[in-house]
Amino acid sequence: MKDRLQELENDALAAISSAESAATLQDIRVAYLGKKGAVTDIMKGMRDLTPEERPVVGALVNRLKESLEDAFAGRNSALQQDAVDLRISSEKIDISLPGRQTFSGTKHPVTLVTEEIVEIFGKLGFCVEEGPEVEQDFYNFEALNIPKDHPARDMQDTFYVSEDLVLRTHTSPVQIRSMLKQKPPLRVIAPGTVYRRDSDITHSPMFHQIEGFLVDQNVTFGDLKGILTHFLTSFFGDKLGVRFRPSFFPFTEPSAEVDIACVMCSSKGCRVCKGTGWLEILGCGMIDPEVFKSVDYDAEQFSGFAFGMGLERIAMLKYGVSDLRLFFENDLRFLRQF
Amino acid sequence: MIVTYNWLKEFVDFDYSPQELADRLTMLGLEVEGMTSIGAEFDTVIVARLEKVEPHPDADRLTVCQVDNGTEVVQVVCGATNHKTGDFIALAQPGSVLPGDFKIKKSKIRGQQSGGMLCSEKELGLSGESAGIMILDRSYEVGMPVFEALQIKDTVLEIGLTPNRPDCLSVVGVAREIAAMCGKPLNLPVAEIVARGADINESASVEIVDPQGCPRYAARMINNVKIGPSPAWMVQRLEAVGMRSINNVVDVTNFVMMELGHPMHAFDFRHLDKGKIVVRRASLDESFTTLDDAKHKLTSEDLMICDGERSVAMAGVMGGLNSEVQDDTSTILLEAAYFNPISIRRTSKRHGLHTESSHRFERGADIDMIPVALDRAAALIAELAGGEISPGVIDEYPTLLPKAKINLSAANTEKILGIHVDIQQVSSLLRGIGLNVASGKIDDAGTVEVGVPSFRPDLEREIDLIEEVARLYGYDNIPVTMPRACLERQVEKPELKLEIAVRNLLVGCGFSEIINYSFFAPGDAARLQLAEGDQRLESVRILNPLNEDQAVMRTTLVPSMLDTLSRNFSHRSTDLGLFELRPVFFPVGDETGSRQELHLAAAISGQRAPLGWNQAKGTVDFYDLKGVVEKVLALLGVKDPCFRSENSETYLHPGKSAQICSGKTVLGYIGELHPQVQQDFDLDQEVYLVDLNLDEVFAVAGNYTPFAVPSRFPAVERDSALLLDETIETRNVLDVARKNLGKLGQDVVVFDVYKGQGIPEGKKSLAFRVRYGSPDKTLTEEEVAKAHGKLVRAVCQQLAAEIR
Repeated sequence: MKDRLQELENDALAAISSAESAATLQDIRVAYLGKKGAVTDIMKGMRDLTPEERPVVGALVNRLKESLEDAFAGRNSALQQDAVDLRISSEKIDISLPGRQTFSGTKHPVTLVTEEIVEIFGKLGFCVEEGPEVEQDFYNFEALNIPKDHPARDMQDTFYVSEDLVLRTHTSPVQIRSMLKQKPPLRVIAPGTVYRRDSDITHSPMFHQIEGFLVDQNVTFGDLKGILTHFLTSFFGDKLGVRFRPSFFPFTEPSAEVDIACVMCSSKGCRVCKGTGWLEILGCGMIDPEVFKSVDYDAEQFSGFAFGMGLERIAMLKYGVSDLRLFFENDLRFLRQF
Repeated sequence: MIVTYNWLKEFVDFDYSPQELADRLTMLGLEVEGMTSIGAEFDTVIVARLEKVEPHPDADRLTVCQVDNGTEVVQVVCGATNHKTGDFIALAQPGSVLPGDFKIKKSKIRGQQSGGMLCSEKELGLSGESAGIMILDRSYEVGMPVFEALQIKDTVLEIGLTPNRPDCLSVVGVAREIAAMCGKPLNLPVAEIVARGADINESASVEIVDPQGCPRYAARMINNVKIGPSPAWMVQRLEAVGMRSINNVVDVTNFVMMELGHPMHAFDFRHLDKGKIVVRRASLDESFTTLDDAKHKLTSEDLMICDGERSVAMAGVMGGLNSEVQDDTSTILLEAAYFNPISIRRTSKRHGLHTESSHRFERGADIDMIPVALDRAAALIAELAGGEISPGVIDEYPTLLPKAKINLSAANTEKILGIHVDIQQVSSLLRGIGLNVASGKIDDAGTVEVGVPSFRPDLEREIDLIEEVARLYGYDNIPVTMPRACLERQVEKPELKLEIAVRNLLVGCGFSEIINYSFFAPGDAARLQLAEGDQRLESVRILNPLNEDQAVMRTTLVPSMLDTLSRNFSHRSTDLGLFELRPVFFPVGDETGSRQELHLAAAISGQRAPLGWNQAKGTVDFYDLKGVVEKVLALLGVKDPCFRSENSETYLHPGKSAQICSGKTVLGYIGELHPQVQQDFDLDQEVYLVDLNLDEVFAVAGNYTPFAVPSRFPAVERDSALLLDETIETRNVLDVARKNLGKLGQDVVVFDVYKGQGIPEGKKSLAFRVRYGSPDKTLTEEEVAKAHGKLVRAVCQQLAAEIR
């Protein structure tokens, strides 16, 4: 019996060590340890043994089973390791081939800068408002202290739809609409499309502006400088030089133009800044009492500031675009770069 | 406004360099937009002294000169005859380039060395004709550039003036600002009038019929003038500031306008009927020829200067041809007046005549400057044209224009500017620009009374003075602060967020955003073959478009999208997805004039993926775009979106397009571009297009989709393939299947549609997969079979389909 078991063990171990795949190994396992396997047969034959033989043979069979289980496990993990080794040694791709591409969509650069500016002001509590692009003379001019027959109307070449309707020449009418709708305090940012009757290399008959304004008690010119300096440095970078200089807009007083240090040449003087080292970036000022009068706000109680800037100009400076017309030609070779 | 550095220096003695001056003016609100130096290119033409002048040994008409240029003596051969030893002359040294690209080089003339050229005025561009070379004053320093010695070398400053500053439309006006800036006095030109002959009132008279339009009219007379060219200095000054020299009289009026800011006019007195000036409105339809030879049909609103008989000038805008100064004019009637700004502006606009004069009057001229300018011009005319000034002045000024007096309080100034204000300091700043600040305070708030001189019509209110204070104090000196603002509850329009979400989704789907002009040509909508009566054929019209291609507001985004595609195709960008998210405009009858509607147009064409080595193959089709639209609608939570093949758009392929709805609301249209429209727009490949009315889409958008707890028990899938009539739309199959999902069915997906071999003519095979599951148990085979059998039977019965 002992010899038979030894022979069986030898045969099994030989078969296990020569098994070349997990499937063969499994077959071998079934042949020895399965329900009808050789070892199981012996176990079944135990009942024919004498009570004295049983424990001896039982111990031998258990040892045999353990030995075979160990061999199976060992072979199994060796085969798994082989499989891994085989994949590692045989599988190799050219990782320098480009990845599988889909077309990447792009937002228009004007949309990109609009979203960025709205976000900066949004964090300061400014809320987005809109107004119609075909606008009434009252909102576009009259209420903004630009009466008919005033030379200030020459500052903006206007498209007319009728005597009292224009394509809005700026986003400032949103000031009037917002102020008529609600009482102070008020913090508004208003991006939008505007129109001027002008078309050449540096002018487009349609372009985009963003308007912002704040009305509250005790708002000062210093606050205007604070908010705009914060915005400009957030947008263009911390160390940006910013200067405010006197200007004129009928709907603000005092009015200012804001220049930033030329981002193209680091203020050394170049074609873009016309050698001055400064770039005109936006117009602003304290809201004129006449404007408050037209929306029935008490100028004694409230003060406020307003500012407006051209988004194409901002986009040109941010992305280094030299030609305004590129924004409206919609050439995919341009658009896909943003 | 153009001024020159030297001209400014005549009125105020400042120490700034041209660049420094430009910077300071800019920071004062007078933005210097351009700077050019004149005369600097001739720096190698210098003052030199003739040491010796001898005849040329081999040429009768030439001289050989020894010239001292300040460092050495050089020999120059000269062809002129008007020079002699000891004269100071202009020597163009080798390397100089004279007007007309005339290059001066060292040369030999008839065997004699010549190291330069002795110049005439003509050769230096200083006059049209000259006899011989230019002999200079012997007080000049030898070796100095000639243009510097002659003070022709100058810097021209171009100032971009805002319309509120008419006072700076003159050299003196700008000088006044500089004087305030550097604290030096402003020296106004002084006119010396030497009057002779009969008093002006004996031969001329002025009557103001319309004092509203013309509050003041003054005149002087100059007799026996001799009309001729102006001297070089005058021509140079005028040219430097961008004006053309005409003759010595007209030039003086222009010169004084530039110097003092007051427009003037000179009449040929012999053409003034009865020696009379009458200021009145024109008669309706009167015809008048201005001195630029243009005919104008007048209205009864136009203010005119007339003589005893007819109009002789369009007041404040332009003189008339009939009374223009001519070569043989000998008596001049010189006008200096003040006209109502609005009246001038209307006339100037109405006749399309924008002149230096109207520009100043419509912004507000200085009424107190009238006598000063009149005397200055009369004296200059007498000096340059040799005339005699008649004694006396006519000065009709029936009602004195009121002068503004404004109270300025320190408290209000502090409130607006956010700085501490010392009213004494403020007063002195304001006095610096010529305002009359009373010395005493009115009240405890530190209020002072400020009298506004006539040259500052823009200062009317306290806030105007506060701005002046800020300007003179220096904007840069106002400290930067942050507002202390209340936190308020603010609500944004919810659609703004949706708009951003749609943009982001489309960009994620590979689309590039475009922006086209909001206007297009009146015929552009019709290019889409729209049916008669389509609302998009009626558009908001622009009265003064730049051109006919931009004459009406867009009623649809589609034509510009197609043009954009066409342009991109021609640039070989043929595989693309584009979208535009912008409003369109429809005319309405009320005071708003227009209704804005937000649309989304998106188009795809070409290959599905960029060229590459193992890319998704094939060209895009209807279903690529439909998938994107379904994503957009799903993102917005649009309930039960439905695509219907009926009622599609005329510009879409009738067999490959659909109307997109949610319930009864039409959201838009999708489809392949109609082959005819494709041809019309010159598109050489198929295009798929969607146009969504986002206002409608946002209106049916749901804001929240309720979530379902995922089941812990496995789901089971069952596939079925049906054979059915090919005219039956997949939508019908899905509708029936979804209605029969029962309690266990969760979802139906069509995964194959097949026509062709093995399928009978007129039929198609459609395969779908249904998923079954339950939240509280694992389904048995029997339960699934029963549910699926019921579903398939329902489809077969209702759509006459059979199981394949």
